[in-house]
Amino acid sequence: MDFGFCLSPSSHVKMDSVDLTTFNRLKETNPDVNTCIACGSCTATCTAGNFTEMSFRRLLLMLQRGKEDEAKKMIQRCMLCGKCTLVCPRGINIRKILLDITR
Amino acid sequence: MKENILIIGGGAAGMEAATQLQKMGLTPIIIEKSETLGGHIAQWDRLFPAFHPAKDVVDKMLDQVKGVKTYLNTEVIDIQKDNDGFHAVLSNKQKIDAKAVILATGFDIFKAERKQEYGYGIYNNVMTSVELEKFFRTGKDERINNPKKIGFVHCVGARDVKVCNTYCSKVCCTTALKQACEIKEVFPDAEVYTFYMDLRMFGPGYEDLYLKTQKDFDVKCVRGRVCEVSEDMDGKLVIKAEDTLFGKPLKMTLDVLILMCAMEKNKSINPIQQKLGITDNSDGFMQNKDMYLGMNSTAQDGVFVAGACTAPKSLPDTIGEARSVATQVYNYINR
Amino acid sequence: MNSQIFHPFVLPFVLGMAFVLTYCLVGLVRVISQLPKDDRKKFWHSLVTPKTAWANIRDLFGDCLFHVKIWKRNPVLGYMHTAIAFGWFMIIVIGHVMLFTLKPLQGIEVEGLQGMFTNFYYPIFFKYFAEETPVFAFLMDFFLLMIISGILIAVVKKIHSKIVGVKRVMHFGFADSLIRFALWTIFPFRLIAEKTNIMAFWWLYSIDLLIFMCMLPFTRYMHIPTEALFILLRHAGIKVTEPRKGYALAELYSCPSCGLCIDACPMSVNDKMSGNTSAYFMKKLRNKDTEESQRIAETCLMCGKCVMICPLSIESCDIKFSQRASVPYNINSDHSYLFCHSERSEESQTNNQKPRVLYFAGCMTQLTPKIMRAMKQIMEAADEEYQFMDENGGICCGRPMMLSGKTAEAKAMVEKNTELIKKSGATKLVLSCPICYKVFKEEYHLEGIEIQHHTQYIDDLVKAGKLKLNKGDVNYVYHDPCELGRAFGVYDEPREVLENVGNLKKAKSEKELSICCGGSLGSFTLTQQERDEITANSVNDLMFNNPDEIVTACPLCLKTFARKSPVKVKDIAEVTAESL
Repeated sequence: MDFGFCLSPSSHVKMDSVDLTTFNRLKETNPDVNTCIACGSCTATCTAGNFTEMSFRRLLLMLQRGKEDEAKKMIQRCMLCGKCTLVCPRGINIRKILLDITR
Repeated sequence: MKENILIIGGGAAGMEAATQLQKMGLTPIIIEKSETLGGHIAQWDRLFPAFHPAKDVVDKMLDQVKGVKTYLNTEVIDIQKDNDGFHAVLSNKQKIDAKAVILATGFDIFKAERKQEYGYGIYNNVMTSVELEKFFRTGKDERINNPKKIGFVHCVGARDVKVCNTYCSKVCCTTALKQACEIKEVFPDAEVYTFYMDLRMFGPGYEDLYLKTQKDFDVKCVRGRVCEVSEDMDGKLVIKAEDTLFGKPLKMTLDVLILMCAMEKNKSINPIQQKLGITDNSDGFMQNKDMYLGMNSTAQDGVFVAGACTAPKSLPDTIGEARSVATQVYNYINR
Repeated sequence: MNSQIFHPFVLPFVLGMAFVLTYCLVGLVRVISQLPKDDRKKFWHSLVTPKTAWANIRDLFGDCLFHVKIWKRNPVLGYMHTAIAFGWFMIIVIGHVMLFTLKPLQGIEVEGLQGMFTNFYYPIFFKYFAEETPVFAFLMDFFLLMIISGILIAVVKKIHSKIVGVKRVMHFGFADSLIRFALWTIFPFRLIAEKTNIMAFWWLYSIDLLIFMCMLPFTRYMHIPTEALFILLRHAGIKVTEPRKGYALAELYSCPSCGLCIDACPMSVNDKMSGNTSAYFMKKLRNKDTEESQRIAETCLMCGKCVMICPLSIESCDIKFSQRASVPYNINSDHSYLFCHSERSEESQTNNQKPRVLYFAGCMTQLTPKIMRAMKQIMEAADEEYQFMDENGGICCGRPMMLSGKTAEAKAMVEKNTELIKKSGATKLVLSCPICYKVFKEEYHLEGIEIQHHTQYIDDLVKAGKLKLNKGDVNYVYHDPCELGRAFGVYDEPREVLENVGNLKKAKSEKELSICCGGSLGSFTLTQQERDEITANSVNDLMFNNPDEIVTACPLCLKTFARKSPVKVKDIAEVTAESL
């Protein structure tokens, strides 16, 4: 039957069913992941971010909102230069976290 | 009961404590290292949130301490404690005996050069919030030349492990918005941006100031920390930040960049502080006994603290602490 | 059998020796067969090339027997090792000389296979079977006492290492302690046996040898046979490819766990972190403790001081890199975007045709604008025709990718940069970041283009009279960045520049001994607090002669020191620009 419209999937982040396995694993070895204040320094200074959508701040959020696939896709842009680690006002060892996500 | 109370520091905290102690019948003695009383607040033009002239407040305070014995251009170079109380030696060789000591040594401004990526001291048009305040007072600053685009950077030297300061400096957010409005008053055609992470509008009337900033002054607040500043061919500043709400890195050209420098402990008191056996807390400020009932007391009996020497504080906070320290000292003398 | 040519107490030794020789032979074949084909060819070739052959002989004696590098750092330890190694070598040599000179004279001739068997143990127990002449007897006693004197120092070192100038020593397990005890007692037993001829001591001596040789392959003493092979491989110019294969395997077994790198390592600021040093890494990897060796490989700052201080110059950092690369990261980097953005770099090239100098600040220098500004001032003052390659951001030099073992991805960046540099037409490439410098020097093929770090460039400009500097009276101390100093020996240029602008003070540890600032991005896992401890220690070392300012030549060192230094920290370019 054609109602002339279709139901599109909800755009909500389904916080009740988000799979946090990766993020929780990450948290064990890098408790710092919880200290991000989302200031965006990492994104602004990012060598790859000059050319691409690479943003560590958003990547962390993606992992916490069940968008692991997107996060892993984003990581592929990283040049591992470590500048983000250098500017992070919270002293988060970003480069290590990026590598740990991919393990 | 004419007991001497030694007050180190003649800023807002020191002056107000002296005023109260004098009214209580004690003899406060202020030691001030600079040539005038008033401290940082005397360098300020107007106060947040209501643009009240700082001079008004400072003048009233100065008037109240007229009768207080004050040593200007003087520092305490040595201090000993025995059963009779404290024995201080001043830089003018004079000796002072006192029953109690109040440390009201306040704060220093974070040296913006330390955050090299912001280019202070490198690029001409990067200045600090203190320098901007001076511009408001004097109307003169060669860096401010009918600017069209002005940016404010929050948290310079605060909430930043990389400069070893992890604390929030409390007053810079409100100051930034106040200054953003003020500069807009001077240059109504200019575009004004502030780059913040969290706007901490914690006090009465502060949120109203925020509203006013957006509505009446059309200041644009961008959520994101500026992380690199460079200069283009024409000597204009190019800043890089992420617009975190939009989720994209951002680059923009500015005529003037104002750095909202944090408060740090005034370290010139360190030798005396050490002699008195008072340590620093994890933020590098002086350690008081506790942050509730013992906020004016220290590990050393008879030594009290007031104002921004224990943490970044606003003027009302400081005045409140100065009044409470007076009560503590009074009780200590009459124990 | 004639008691003059055989006694059962030689059997333990014979067994042990047979075992160790077999083991070494198998190991040798294994290492050589594991080498990549090209490397194997290189190896055979190097053995017959006069230049490498001479280097082999020089280092076999210099490194294995005389421990020249230890002598330079610590003469007491140098003597200890020389006494034991050279002394032992000499008594074996003299034993054989006696075998071939004295034995026939004394009429003990045994023919055929039995003769060969006799010759196998004869030199080791010579005194029991035959008479020594006074000259040989003196020589034997002399070298035996020399060994024992070395062992005495070793005992002192074990009891209280600080007496011999060693702060931290390795901690060993049971096997290593047992074999060490065997080694220490071999020679006293031999001396007593020779002097008293009590049968029990001959037995003890022989059994000690058995224990030593049977345990040798499973302990650090395996370095004794392996280091000879390692030296040959090194001179053949072979590089590490896999962490536990071929050349790396030879390196692993050549590490004597002497622990000299422990005190040298910048991480040895506390006991916990000193467990991250190369000596432990090599031991863990040798024992196939992959988890722990991977952990250390990722923690290491890669400053290269352990390699420099190592008596054998074992390239532990290379092994760490290959260890890192052996763990697969699931980053299949896609950097195709780099190639869409070439126009932006090209547009700036149109306004300045064919510059002489191309300046590449590098990504770290973007965070220290003082260096960039100073470099511009310097190049303008020297009237240089220059072009700023990455003023508005550029492509990474590729080093970070290499550090994480992603060679192919790094190559893409290298190629793109090479293209850009060649297009510019410049004849000189100046870099401000020692990391970039290292990469451009080692990984790029920029024929006809001179690559310089700005310390060298400034020194050249001063020497050519293009820069006139005013000498002030500020006291400077210079910190050698790891990648500039230890990696390329750029020690004198910056110091000469500094002497032109002020007074140069010495740090406690200088040049090749300089201590990493602690900020090195070589480490993946060190926490901020751990780094801070390293930095504080390094700053202390620099402040030894109370300088007014610390000068360095690396944006990362600059930023790192600025956090902890009691005095101003500047880049050499800044100091130069200030005195123009």
